[in-house]
Amino acid sequence: MTETIQGATRTNDQQNGQQIESIEVSRFARFKNVGITVVNLAVFFVIWELVARAEVINSLFFPRASDMFAALFNGFADGTIWPQLSHSLTNFLIGLAISAAIGIPVGLLMGASKIADLILSPYVWAMTSLPRVALIPLLILIMGFGNSMQLTIIVLSAVFPIMVNCMAGVKTVEPSLVRAGVVFGASRLQIYLKVILPYTLPFVISGVNQGIARGLVGMLIGELLGGGGNGLGFLLDRAGEQFDAPMLYATLILLAVMSVGLVQAMRWLEQRAAPWRDISRA
Amino acid sequence: MGQVEAHSAPGAQHAADDRASEPALIEAVHVTAGYDNRREHTRLIALRDVSLQVRRGEFLAIVGPSGCGKTTFINLIAGFVKPIEGSVRVRGEEVTGPGADRAMVFQDYALLPWRTVERNIRFAMENRRGHVPKAEQAERAARALRLVGLTGFEKSYPHELSGGMRQRVGIARALVTEPEILLMDEPFGAVDAMTREAMQAELEKIIAETRQTVVFITHSIDEAILLADRIVVISKRPGTIREVIDVDLPRPRFDEQADVQRSPRFGEIRSHLWSLLADEALGAKQEVATR
Repeated sequence: MTETIQGATRTNDQQNGQQIESIEVSRFARFKNVGITVVNLAVFFVIWELVARAEVINSLFFPRASDMFAALFNGFADGTIWPQLSHSLTNFLIGLAISAAIGIPVGLLMGASKIADLILSPYVWAMTSLPRVALIPLLILIMGFGNSMQLTIIVLSAVFPIMVNCMAGVKTVEPSLVRAGVVFGASRLQIYLKVILPYTLPFVISGVNQGIARGLVGMLIGELLGGGGNGLGFLLDRAGEQFDAPMLYATLILLAVMSVGLVQAMRWLEQRAAPWRDISRA
Repeated sequence: MGQVEAHSAPGAQHAADDRASEPALIEAVHVTAGYDNRREHTRLIALRDVSLQVRRGEFLAIVGPSGCGKTTFINLIAGFVKPIEGSVRVRGEEVTGPGADRAMVFQDYALLPWRTVERNIRFAMENRRGHVPKAEQAERAARALRLVGLTGFEKSYPHELSGGMRQRVGIARALVTEPEILLMDEPFGAVDAMTREAMQAELEKIIAETRQTVVFITHSIDEAILLADRIVVISKRPGTIREVIDVDLPRPRFDEQADVQRSPRFGEIRSHLWSLLADEALGAKQEVATR
């Protein structure tokens, strides 16, 4: 039995006498947020433009928004930006993939095995807290300037937060869930696959999220200090040396877009992977 | 639930008649159990020299002060904990680990949050031990859901349900494997008072239908009297059996007409249990005071 009252659908379940009501949400509701963001950004750039035109701040440090966009457009048009952007992006994604491939299994192992935790913990924690920049001279000494050194610093930056989160995830699995697994006949392997791994998944994703943030820092310091002559870091460095403020700002905007894009992608993935998490913690 | 009846053994229906002749289903013989504290190199004794028999088809409630070893006792039967001394036997065989003949209902429900109600129930049937053929799983799950009154909620997630409904899922998951023994560790401890009473009535109805042997831990004296055939009172740690009380109230006890809760016999058992437990609770307090 279904009746529709002002957009709400009410279903009477005869068998249970339960009444379930679902309210239809406008299909345009989700575009509302996008609209707000667009207006918000537009206002931001207009204010930027106006403040810059008022020349309160030296235009050498604070260019007009329109000049920044021109530099961005020209940079793509004449091919100064794209090779650097693609170099950074490729390096970063490869680095992140390697970090995940090492960090996730090792982290899970550390969470599951006391011995592995005991042996690896001191190194993992030391590497997690050590400022990445400190490694640059050593890495340059070993690998010289160039790609492998840049890739290494990305991996060293991203892998440990991933590891630590995966480990923490396994350790926070509710004991009663594991006991339920034992009671209902699950083997050790089945408990890992059906209880511990799904429970840990959100932690894995938030680990990768932190890995992205740290990895981006690693990528930049590798490109800025490693002197490889390519990547967004190099673009920043060169624009700074040439007092090319619009280009400097354009590169920063690119970096912001890149990191926001990656983090948003992960958020989307997180909601897909663990829809129960959001609501149950609310 | 034709299958459940068939499974839970012919003896169940006549449990009351041949109590004396039939051997106990669960038997604890001089059991002492506890936990090791490795850091302090000490061993905490939770239960000392407990001997107890549970008959087939019986509903046994265990009451006692907090930390008296009630949960340890249920864990011994479940096979999570091994006794330090003595032995726990089911059907005359020593318990060495968990088995398909014993299912458990947890106080915190222990449902997998990423699985729907139906898939949570299937979890009990799809593992290595106690595996049920795929074709049969859906039908059995539907039957278990009907039994606990959750038909229509197959596709809901636990977080979308109230506490009482979650525990119904927990009960359905335990019953779907058609175990001989149902172990319930304060199953209604986390639901509100109103729901609790409704759940008790429902559990009585369900067990009358499925005829499981139940070991039920509770803090609530009323709950124990309303549900159990016998009540075991355990003293404070290290837990020993203080007294075993036969509850000779007629069933069904959640019948409006019978109004068991207002009967004089209910009052008698209640005040007797209360005095026993008050002793224990006060004893614990005095100990703290003299320290």
